[in-house]
Amino acid sequence: MPAVSVRGLVKSYGHLRAVDGVSFEVQAGEVFALLGPNGAGKTTTIEILEGFRDRDAGEVQVLGIDPGDRRSGQQLRSQLGVVLQELAVEPFLSVRQVLQRNAGFYPAPRPVGEVIELVGLAEKADAKVKTLSGGQQRRLDVGLGIVGRPSLLFLDEPTTGLDPAGRRSSWDLVRRLSGEGTTVILTTHYMEEAETLADQVAIIASGKIVAQGPPASLGGRDQGAATIRFRLPQGVEPSELPMVVAGAGPTVELRTDRELEALYELTRWALEHEAHVTGLTVSRHTLEDVYLQLTGADPDRFHSDPAAGAPVPS
Amino acid sequence: MLGELRLVVRQVRYEQLSFWLNTVGATFTVGFSLLFLLMLGASAGTSRISYLHNIKLVQYYVPGFIAYGVMSAAFNTLAISLVVRRETGLLKRLRLSPLPTWTLLTSILISTLLIAFLEVIVMLAVGRLAFGVQLPSGASGIGSLILVLIVGGLSFGALGVAMSTLIPNQQAAGPLTSTVFFVLLFPSGLWFPLRSGSALAKISTFFPIRHFITAVFRTFSHPGASAWAGHDVLIIVIWGAVAAAFALRRFQWAPQRT
Repeated sequence: MPAVSVRGLVKSYGHLRAVDGVSFEVQAGEVFALLGPNGAGKTTTIEILEGFRDRDAGEVQVLGIDPGDRRSGQQLRSQLGVVLQELAVEPFLSVRQVLQRNAGFYPAPRPVGEVIELVGLAEKADAKVKTLSGGQQRRLDVGLGIVGRPSLLFLDEPTTGLDPAGRRSSWDLVRRLSGEGTTVILTTHYMEEAETLADQVAIIASGKIVAQGPPASLGGRDQGAATIRFRLPQGVEPSELPMVVAGAGPTVELRTDRELEALYELTRWALEHEAHVTGLTVSRHTLEDVYLQLTGADPDRFHSDPAAGAPVPS
Repeated sequence: MLGELRLVVRQVRYEQLSFWLNTVGATFTVGFSLLFLLMLGASAGTSRISYLHNIKLVQYYVPGFIAYGVMSAAFNTLAISLVVRRETGLLKRLRLSPLPTWTLLTSILISTLLIAFLEVIVMLAVGRLAFGVQLPSGASGIGSLILVLIVGGLSFGALGVAMSTLIPNQQAAGPLTSTVFFVLLFPSGLWFPLRSGSALAKISTFFPIRHFITAVFRTFSHPGASAWAGHDVLIIVIWGAVAAAFALRRFQWAPQRT
């Protein structure tokens, strides 16, 4: 049984269809990332899964419970962990007091000391919440999310505002929780984060899911043409190369779906002619390319180059 | 049920902890109405009220400011604190935890009333020791005072929750609540007893504030007081019930950001 299953979910605010027929499944133990621009419907979708908001239509099961059913709300919430975007904690309580209080809400909480260690707040355990730095508050937030030993953890932009080291340790924590069998649903604006952490990614735009799959193959980015770029060796004209390249500058590129052959030809030619080829890269679409194209933020990105073809099966 | 009651007690403890750890905030919340009473009590001196059985003016002020303290905590402070909790996401976070929502709201209300009743005890002591005011006496007087304070605390608490649902954002919470409270307080006879039949007395009959002040006043033992004030209490209860129904319909957990 999947941890979360959503079919045909619809939620409108007035005339605006904030969520417009969204369907997806999250398997138990998986890390699932929901990507999309602000206002795309991510938060509304998650709030419906959390039982915080009512839906207009569709079927939703979270840990086998319908989150729209008030009667089982408490049973559901005792198995959920939620990390919101802003810290919302009484400023005058200490880190330990807040964690102790919230631990008491759950049937089988994690020991408070363990949570403090896990989120790296040992030195601040007895400090008042209001004295914490932004990054430390973020970590307390995560601590409050996991203190109830949730089966399903929602992380809303968990690393926004963290420095690189803080981001790395948050990622380690997510991997560790996932390793213990916790299902994680996260939203993020960082493609790198989705790529490193998520088993499955869904991109949502204007209330609809526009792509879904493992991050490595999302939108068909593991297939199709690759781009080979390199700097033209000194004194070599593009016409002297063994293949047709685009671009007149010092850096030229070619798109091919047979990149191994192209590379072989290029390197053989370079060795034979003792040509000094530098700056050689081979790339496919990054997750960000796919994201920007699918969410309509940068519609010209792919289509400006007819050779690129259609990167996404539509 | 027993488990949930234990949760309420536990939550009240954390509410109190959170309140008292903010030393400056706590001191001024508790001290504000006491300061008012001390100033007015001192300036009243030995003045008497000719149209109210010729009692000492301070004999009127002590019950008045006890009522004021309870209203200020239950209405003003509660409304503002709920808006701040809502807008900073505190309510949303707790709503997403398995803590049953009624235990959360109940514990906030109980905690607010505990603080209000602490103020009452301090003001009773100051009234007796500093101004020689006659306090409620006998089982019926003391019982009536406790009952009136609980009914008033709950009703004004409900009004505070209802008020919070009308406030769009944190910045507006203080100004809006204070405006409503002080405008209604003015004709309600807190600063000076109203002559019955006057225009102000007629206006304030409609609102619960004057009835609460009167109800508290009547529980004190002095000439002309009767320990029971059923009609005042009834009007307070009606206001409270309407406010509670209104609050339950409109209550929001998520920040409104407007």
